[in-house]
Amino acid sequence: MLLPVTFPILAGMVLLLKKEFQKRSALLFYVGGVLVFTAAAALYAIFGIREGVTLFHLTKTLPVYFKLDAVGRYFSLTLVVVWVLAGFFSFEYMKHEKNEKRFFGFYLIVFGVLLGLDFAGNLITMYLFYELMTLTSMPFVLHTQTKESIMAGLRYLFFSFAGAYMALFGIYFISRYGTTLNFTQGGVIELSVLQEHSGLFLVVTFFMLLGFGVKAGMFPLHAWLPTAHPVAPGPASAVLSGIIVKGGVLAVIRVVYQLIGVSFLRGTWVQTAWIALTLVTVFMGSMLAFGEPVLKKRLAYSTVSQLSYILFGLAVMQPEAFSGALLHVSAHAFIKVALFLCASAIIYRTGATRVEELRGIGKGMPVTLWCYTIVSLGLIGIPPASGFASKWHLAMGALDSGIAVFSWLGPVVLLISALLTAGYLLPVTMQGFFPGEGFDASRFENKEPSYQMLVPLLVFAALTILIGLAPNPITDAFLAFAAQVM
Amino acid sequence: MEIIRNFPCLSILLAMFSAIISSALKGRWARRLNTFVVTAVGILSACTLYFTHVTGKSYVYVMGHFPAPFGNEIRFGSLEAGMALFFCVIMLLSLNGGRHKLRIDIDPAKENLYYIMVDLLLSSLLALVYTNDLFTAYVFVEINTIAACGLIMIMESGRAIEAATRYMIMSLLGSGLFLIGLCMLYDMTGHLLMSNIQQSVREIASSGTYMIPLLVTIALIVVGLAIKSALFPFHAWLPDAYGYSTVSSAAMLSSLVSKGYIFLLIKIIYRVIGFDIFVGSRIINVLFVFGLAGMIMGSTSAIRENDIRRMISYSSVAQIGYIYMGFGLGTPVGMAASVFHILSHAATKSLLFVSGVGLTDVSGDHKEFIELTGAGYRNICAGLAFTAGSLSMVGIPLFSGFISKLLFSQAAVQSNLKMLPTLIVLAISTVLNAIYFMKTVIRIYTPVESKYESVSVKKNSLYAFTLFCFIALNVVLGMCSQPITDWITQGLSVFA
Amino acid sequence: MGEHLLENYAEVVAVALFGIGFTNLLLQKNMIKKIIGLNIMDTAVYLFLAEKGYISGHIAPIVVNGDLSPDTYINPVPSGLVLTGIVVSVSVTALMLSLTIRLYRRYHTLDLDEITMRLKKEGL
Repeated sequence: MLLPVTFPILAGMVLLLKKEFQKRSALLFYVGGVLVFTAAAALYAIFGIREGVTLFHLTKTLPVYFKLDAVGRYFSLTLVVVWVLAGFFSFEYMKHEKNEKRFFGFYLIVFGVLLGLDFAGNLITMYLFYELMTLTSMPFVLHTQTKESIMAGLRYLFFSFAGAYMALFGIYFISRYGTTLNFTQGGVIELSVLQEHSGLFLVVTFFMLLGFGVKAGMFPLHAWLPTAHPVAPGPASAVLSGIIVKGGVLAVIRVVYQLIGVSFLRGTWVQTAWIALTLVTVFMGSMLAFGEPVLKKRLAYSTVSQLSYILFGLAVMQPEAFSGALLHVSAHAFIKVALFLCASAIIYRTGATRVEELRGIGKGMPVTLWCYTIVSLGLIGIPPASGFASKWHLAMGALDSGIAVFSWLGPVVLLISALLTAGYLLPVTMQGFFPGEGFDASRFENKEPSYQMLVPLLVFAALTILIGLAPNPITDAFLAFAAQVM
Repeated sequence: MEIIRNFPCLSILLAMFSAIISSALKGRWARRLNTFVVTAVGILSACTLYFTHVTGKSYVYVMGHFPAPFGNEIRFGSLEAGMALFFCVIMLLSLNGGRHKLRIDIDPAKENLYYIMVDLLLSSLLALVYTNDLFTAYVFVEINTIAACGLIMIMESGRAIEAATRYMIMSLLGSGLFLIGLCMLYDMTGHLLMSNIQQSVREIASSGTYMIPLLVTIALIVVGLAIKSALFPFHAWLPDAYGYSTVSSAAMLSSLVSKGYIFLLIKIIYRVIGFDIFVGSRIINVLFVFGLAGMIMGSTSAIRENDIRRMISYSSVAQIGYIYMGFGLGTPVGMAASVFHILSHAATKSLLFVSGVGLTDVSGDHKEFIELTGAGYRNICAGLAFTAGSLSMVGIPLFSGFISKLLFSQAAVQSNLKMLPTLIVLAISTVLNAIYFMKTVIRIYTPVESKYESVSVKKNSLYAFTLFCFIALNVVLGMCSQPITDWITQGLSVFA
Repeated sequence: MGEHLLENYAEVVAVALFGIGFTNLLLQKNMIKKIIGLNIMDTAVYLFLAEKGYISGHIAPIVVNGDLSPDTYINPVPSGLVLTGIVVSVSVTALMLSLTIRLYRRYHTLDLDEITMRLKKEGL
């Protein structure tokens, strides 16, 4: 169980410290080998190992402890799939970027750190890997080392640290009043203690939500995301947007459902404020994406919006919405990674970054654009793609929750945002395939990328459809999980 | 095992005599003698630490054959011995890390003078750690000041002499206040031995007659030591003194000299005044407020600074604010957190100074950030070490800084009134720390076509080894903090 | 309050002197005046200590004629402290003076603020 966490970290460090490889293929072989091996070990840990492992004790009461539960399994499974596929995509893509060795070194390290985050069995371990995740993913943002990327990186760092320390606040309180720091269904603090200090705990929880919400791009601390994600190299911005932001979601789930406890939070001002914030973010993210001309930035804004769908589902604190939110975690991960990879493939082959430059792109890169279209439909929520199922559950859960205004306002906002999503994603498809009369699409001739790039795209598109067709295994599992925590 | 009782006294004398002998030696031999003495004292302290830790008691060693109220005493428990050991380790590492720089900065004819000062510094630090007599403490405070002043002015540049003068003036103000406070305490109690004073202070406090003079005395002593250890707002001398001296001096000043005074203050709080009386006085709130202010102001000054050495110095102001904030919490847990932070800050700050000089070396001796661009590639081990130190300062788990922040906040949540200000300031200061340290780390790892040469690890193996030891020390403090906090708690319990 | 002040005039004077010395050391620009302030401050402490050790009518603690009764002599400890203190203050003063000489040779002024200004101008 420790192997998938430590092995890629060590392998990545070795890669960073090593001299340049003689041949590029040797580097790729090394990275590919580590990725596959880690993935295998992680899969074994995900499906095979039930009991927890303590690595060492930070202090007497604070062990670094790994244990997988349903949420952790699900997150790490998504992570493994995306990470390996995006890794293979980048083998081709990184040809046109400098400093490949450093990129792949950190790519491996972040893989290990993220697995550690997903495997974490108590709050302190999670916090440890959360901080490490920020630090080790930072080089992705800094990769091109232009002025713009350094500013974005600094912004990323400060927002993340500010968030992490807001959350650290809460850790102190939970370790003071809680019985344990291990994640426990329904919370670790006795209800009587909670009620005694209810004002304090509400503030603390709110701070933790805001703090971890930074990573998930929740309003008002979302400003780093649209600057940081697009400046990274293509595959890195894909995993930043698809996977690393989910670290914030995971942390929020752990805090709300497994440390503080839903029964205490339901109906308080914290829940109200949280729902309001998520809805604002959903709407605002979509609006900003709608007005953004650069494709990668547009996708980053879309991440802001989509992440808050998930947070909204969690904030409603209702089993069906919860399962919908978690379904959306993997749905969004696959879709957003695929979208970013499409954008990178286009950049790689044609250098076009702005949406209006993409007219007629469908003539030259039909497969890429088809993948783009399929996953876009998924994000908008058109059956049979995956987004439909998750949004359906979200809306149903919200309607069922019986929280005054929000039970109907929520679904309405989701619907409007879905229309906006269609508005900002589909024009690329429309203009790509139908550039209009007399448009000369010859500059896109034969630009279809190689198989190394296409295969991951096709797999993601297939997965999107697959989850859309058969979401029940996932939702059922999380309905059961929700029954335990609520 | 009885012989171990003599070790503390022996180590003080050893250091002092080596200073005297060094004055007759050539620079090279003085250096060797110094290395030997620091190592020997370290070993002696380690034995003492083992002995006291096993027995779990504290011992009194009578100097000269006069018993208690008249004679001079040394008193040691596991905390003192551990501190002495730690000081020796840091001193050895700082000296080794700055060795190559010393050769450039100091006139070879004066090299032995430098080691005289270092030996003196060591002996006075040990005496401050071990002594049980207030007036002896005062004398060694002055010796410490003189030695520190010598370490600053050894560079002989105009800046260094000016910094040394300013340092001297502030220190003398501090020791003047300390001295008058001490004399008033002697006036009130009639004793100079710490344990005896405490009995009298308890009587005074319980009878309630001399409360105002007692309060004034405590205030004088505390303020005096606070000036000397550069608590905000008395920190004006610090950036110059640390910024313009040679690197070993800066590392030792920030991690040993100021810590020696703080340790003396802890001792006075526990052993002279009595912890409960100290907590009962209002001075503790003043310390708390100044500590908090220091945490913020030190960091904001550091952000504005354009010189890497001065930036690190200003960050010391912030870190000393942390320590005083821990005192100000007024709980044993807060005190233990402060002691841990003394260790953690000493380990980190000397690491930062030593690695910082490695970075400026490969940038043509410029300390401005713009020149440091890409220095992390030119001197790989210094870059790594600086990054590790910065991460520890920012409080990333696995490094020592995280544990001290954790301990501080655990102490803070026990107090209802001081909890919120502490936690808020802790959070703000952490973010500020992150701003300036991460800015620097990014700066040194921004690649640039540079006109400066890079340095290989092999060429400078002693330096690399020192940095490695520093990082290891930091990580050990960060990962195995439990035995250390246990030791601190146990040591504090037999302290009074 | 008033009568106590008069009774303990020596302490009052000592504290007043200490204050004068302290302010001089802190606020004077001239290095020599600073050092004078330092010495006033230290002397004030010795006055305070000597006053504390003195017992009216007793003689200096030097045994003459084998008289060992404590009623004859004053308290010797503060005198010892004063001696130690003087040693410390002499060495500190010497160090300060040597620093002053260095600075004067380099900058031909005793004004510390002016030296600082000049250093800043040099941009060192």
